[in-house]
Amino acid sequence: MLFFFTDLLALGCIVSIMVVGLNLQYGYTGLLNFAFYMYVAIGAYIAGVTTMGPPTLPGITYIFGWTLPWYVGLLLGGVVAAAAGAVVFAFTVRRLRSDYLAIVTVSAAFIVYNVINSFIPLFDGATGLFNVPPITGNLNVSTEQYSLIVLLVAAILLAVFVFISMRIFRSPFGRLLRAIREDETVTSAFGHASWRPQLWVFVIGCFMAGIAGGLFIFYITAWSPSAFLPLESFFLLAALIIGGSGNYWGAVFGAFVVIEGLAELSRYAPTFGSQADAGAIRAMIIGIALILVLRYRPEGLFPERWLKWYRTTASAARKRVLPGRQSP
Amino acid sequence: MTASVLALAAVAVSLQVSVTNFINFAYGDFMTFGAYIAWTVAEHGVNFFLAVLIGGIATGVLGVVSNFVIFRPFMRRRVRPVTLLIAGVGLSFIVQNGMTIIWGTEPVRFNVTLGNALHIGPLVLTPGDLVTIGAAVALLVLLHAMLTYTKFGKSLRATSNNVDLAKACGIDSDRVISITWFIAGILTAVAGVGLVLQESTLDPTTGFSELFVIFGAVILGGIGRPYGAMLGALVVGILTEVSGSYVDSAYKTSIAFGFVIVLLLFRPQGLFSAAGKTS
Repeated sequence: MLFFFTDLLALGCIVSIMVVGLNLQYGYTGLLNFAFYMYVAIGAYIAGVTTMGPPTLPGITYIFGWTLPWYVGLLLGGVVAAAAGAVVFAFTVRRLRSDYLAIVTVSAAFIVYNVINSFIPLFDGATGLFNVPPITGNLNVSTEQYSLIVLLVAAILLAVFVFISMRIFRSPFGRLLRAIREDETVTSAFGHASWRPQLWVFVIGCFMAGIAGGLFIFYITAWSPSAFLPLESFFLLAALIIGGSGNYWGAVFGAFVVIEGLAELSRYAPTFGSQADAGAIRAMIIGIALILVLRYRPEGLFPERWLKWYRTTASAARKRVLPGRQSP
Repeated sequence: MTASVLALAAVAVSLQVSVTNFINFAYGDFMTFGAYIAWTVAEHGVNFFLAVLIGGIATGVLGVVSNFVIFRPFMRRRVRPVTLLIAGVGLSFIVQNGMTIIWGTEPVRFNVTLGNALHIGPLVLTPGDLVTIGAAVALLVLLHAMLTYTKFGKSLRATSNNVDLAKACGIDSDRVISITWFIAGILTAVAGVGLVLQESTLDPTTGFSELFVIFGAVILGGIGRPYGAMLGALVVGILTEVSGSYVDSAYKTSIAFGFVIVLLLFRPQGLFSAAGKTS
């Protein structure tokens, strides 16, 4: 029973890190990244191959095969994911409108998926990585204890990332991001090159994705292409929009309730027909919830404007900017 | 995905985009839906071609209903196109997983024999190919006639050009949009059946996995330009087939996706467009 909760919370924290990262991209500055899970996968693979040592079993091949400590591998995963994000950004975001960006990101994700799946020397193709060493190393811990340890690590990292999100949100940088999201033309008319802040926030989001992926692979100790089907990105986006895009608490809520909570709930749903039903029911519920929220509460369940310092008070701003102006 | 299937699907997408001005992410699932309905009807002993027709009508109805229930309220509020795109993702979840619940994930295949394969020099045409090509040509000619010579075609083109102006001229643009969804649905379902005949199996993700290749063809022809889409489909279809003989077939879909990316990056207005719709 205890394991049920620690397991759920550990996965919830990991998914929360992803959605908080996605929130930086879509929520803060409107970059519609339909391939967010690709960066999670990159982080997971890099964290795996840099810590698990050279392949021992015949027929298993992957690059690197280093034996770095887990935290270095985790960090490397995040850095590589961030670098990949920077490259993709450089090629796409500056050129494309949001709906084209969505199509390009999904297409890129399909290609990455296809290549990882088919090109075996890279990350062992469709079989994937397994026997990734747990972060406790050789210590003898039970599954229950291990989930508790991962929960602690993930919760601390989640807290750090939410804190970073909060600082970004409240900073002038965050305000600039929101301004770009609302109207890019106006912000560039005020002299801000809109792509530079977007690049930073995109890269930070991808870094979080990579870290979440690393935690994921250390927790479940295996990773393969079937773990990052392009569909997963849509789930994350749905969770963010239902939770409230722009609001980091909404992102955490979405991750826990929409993704983890529904996954658990749908397990107890009555099954009719085939066995794949629990997942299908869950995805259907997410789809319906997504459309309902978009239609009746487009800001999500936890709107961005609930956050402290969403806007500075109007009177203070007026005093500062226009001293002595008579009201008409 | 061969050019004829791709052409039908791309024209359907393009037709719908031309009047509604957003990309429907659930299109792949509409294809699968049409194919499943046709399969189910055919399994009950109905003639194959009649079954395809019924699948087409069912998909058309699905399109009209989706438009009524989901997309129209958003369009009334004049939301950003991104919102419609995400609503399409939600619809895709619903349709795709609804199909999983109804028909399961086990692949099924059409139990039809349409005759023997035809050999023309080095080309091998299966009867499925022939039927698909025939249906594609017939439907596209029909569509062309409708767009050019009927009053409805005229009002469709007017709506596609400028909704507000069309409304001001007394065109019931809501009705035009509904009928367009219906027609697009029929084309989609036929494309779905063609896709299944060619891939030989059908499961709930069959259509979704081809969605972005279709988008590639649509974009290549210039978004919202049905005639361009036909040409785009031809180019993309031939390109993927030809590339299949130069690279490992495992990477064939990657070629198509890479093509979509390069295209969107360097020529988002499509290869053949000069002026016209920009969004």
